[in-house]
Amino acid sequence: MNLALLLDMAADGLGDRVAFGARDSGLTYERLRSLSASAAAVLGRAGSATLALADATGPAVPVGLFGAAPAGCTYAPLNYRLPPERLAALAARLDHPFVLAGRDTLAALRGSLAELTATDAWLGELGDQGTAEDTYPEDPTRPAVLLFTSGSTAEPKAALLDHDNLCSYVFNTNEFGSAGEDEAVLVAVPPFHVAGVAAILSACYVGRRIVPLPSFSPEDWLDTARREAVTHAFVVPTMLARIAAAAEADPDLRVPHLRSLAYGGARMPAPVLERALRVFPEAGFVNAYGLTETSSTVAVLGPDDHRQAATSEDPAVRRRLSSVGRPVGGIEVEVVTEDGSPATADRHGEIRLRGPQVSGAYVDQPSQVDGGGWLRTGDLGWVDEGGYLYVAGRADDVIIRGGENISPSEIEDALLRHPAVAQTAVVGLPDEEWGERIGAMVVLRPGVSTNGEELFRWAKERLGSLKAPEVVVLRSELPTTPTGKVLRRQVRTELNAG
Amino acid sequence: MANTLGKRYHCATCDAQVLVTKAGDGGLECDGQPMELMQPKPLPSSD
Repeated sequence: MNLALLLDMAADGLGDRVAFGARDSGLTYERLRSLSASAAAVLGRAGSATLALADATGPAVPVGLFGAAPAGCTYAPLNYRLPPERLAALAARLDHPFVLAGRDTLAALRGSLAELTATDAWLGELGDQGTAEDTYPEDPTRPAVLLFTSGSTAEPKAALLDHDNLCSYVFNTNEFGSAGEDEAVLVAVPPFHVAGVAAILSACYVGRRIVPLPSFSPEDWLDTARREAVTHAFVVPTMLARIAAAAEADPDLRVPHLRSLAYGGARMPAPVLERALRVFPEAGFVNAYGLTETSSTVAVLGPDDHRQAATSEDPAVRRRLSSVGRPVGGIEVEVVTEDGSPATADRHGEIRLRGPQVSGAYVDQPSQVDGGGWLRTGDLGWVDEGGYLYVAGRADDVIIRGGENISPSEIEDALLRHPAVAQTAVVGLPDEEWGERIGAMVVLRPGVSTNGEELFRWAKERLGSLKAPEVVVLRSELPTTPTGKVLRRQVRTELNAG
Repeated sequence: MANTLGKRYHCATCDAQVLVTKAGDGGLECDGQPMELMQPKPLPSSD
């Protein structure tokens, strides 16, 4: 299988529809195929093995992704916001790269990288150098996509996804051409995030116009969504928190066309979701759980699940609002504790995944998949009797205090219900007596104040003293990755330093 | 029977599935019988 097939199908079946950009002036599927064929021809002539893209979401993202595929090149979107020397170090790890960069990135990288091409100049010169009839390898030997993991570890790993992994994901989670002509998806996640890759592939396959948001702010997101009559969107939890707050503060910013609001990429705090459900009552909410290594989404909590859970009297059904739903087609989930028994709400186990979209391969590192095809995710969780998967957090983040395993998420949710708390990250800190004690970094809402003592009491009343944070540090923001994942290691270091 | 682009067909005998990636006039047969057109499942958009 080759990813190019997805665009071929879209261009054959939906050729005149706008695939990317504004309704009246965007690229059609036919035009996208022609540009991608030209890009493939250019990459072939240059003898490149990798197409690296250090730029925000723009037309070069679909053209790069669908141009690299038929050329048998690996598409490697890079985090263009990294400091130039770190970005150059990532590019240096790529096999024979053809590097595209946005104007600002290009200027910053000049001294560190020998060969660079400006994205807009490259796009402008593509013209019609290939033809739609050009053939492509059915079974390309190189991986389709390379993504550097976000760097909550010191050295980012280069995760690889094959054409077959990504095609399986698209076929198992979408129906070809199923989007109405009026549908449009707002893509606010950056291209170097796996959700940014999956968004492009799925949207093309179902025929949903992509509206790019190159740089996120809640006002821009709401404004673009209204102006472009956006019907679908995917956001990470930090984005949703800010969007819901902005829309709640100003009803003029509401988005009447929004039908589907998917979220994922990090754990969604319960208070953030409850607020969003209130602010966007007409939207169908979708929780998507996945990893870079699994070609994005492996489990989905759909709009009906959200509605049932939110209105149910049954606590077991209500609880599902905090689950990530059930596995998508083709995915098997297994959650067992250390002694091999099935995990429960009280005893979590490591989540293991198997299926055709699961890769687990890296450049120059052993695969994370065992002989039986199972990927160990490093995430802890359990599955309820209805088959709903719960993700409690990373195994590494569990706090062990007085012999008890404590999940930071429970404490974070409790703190977030305090009226003064806007964001928080809870970590374990070394403690001679208890093994670990609980530390919280807290960002306050504007115009309100509180202190560590009050937050300790607040948590103690709700969760007991074992789970109340003894160390509380107030900050203006949490250290996060560019896609809003909290860097817990850094939080721990800062709290340890006092 | 023509094949429709992007549709899935299914064999009632052996459960094989086929996804049509190029439309055409030919018919799809499996285990000596025409394959059945599958009704699309509504899937929530997750990305």
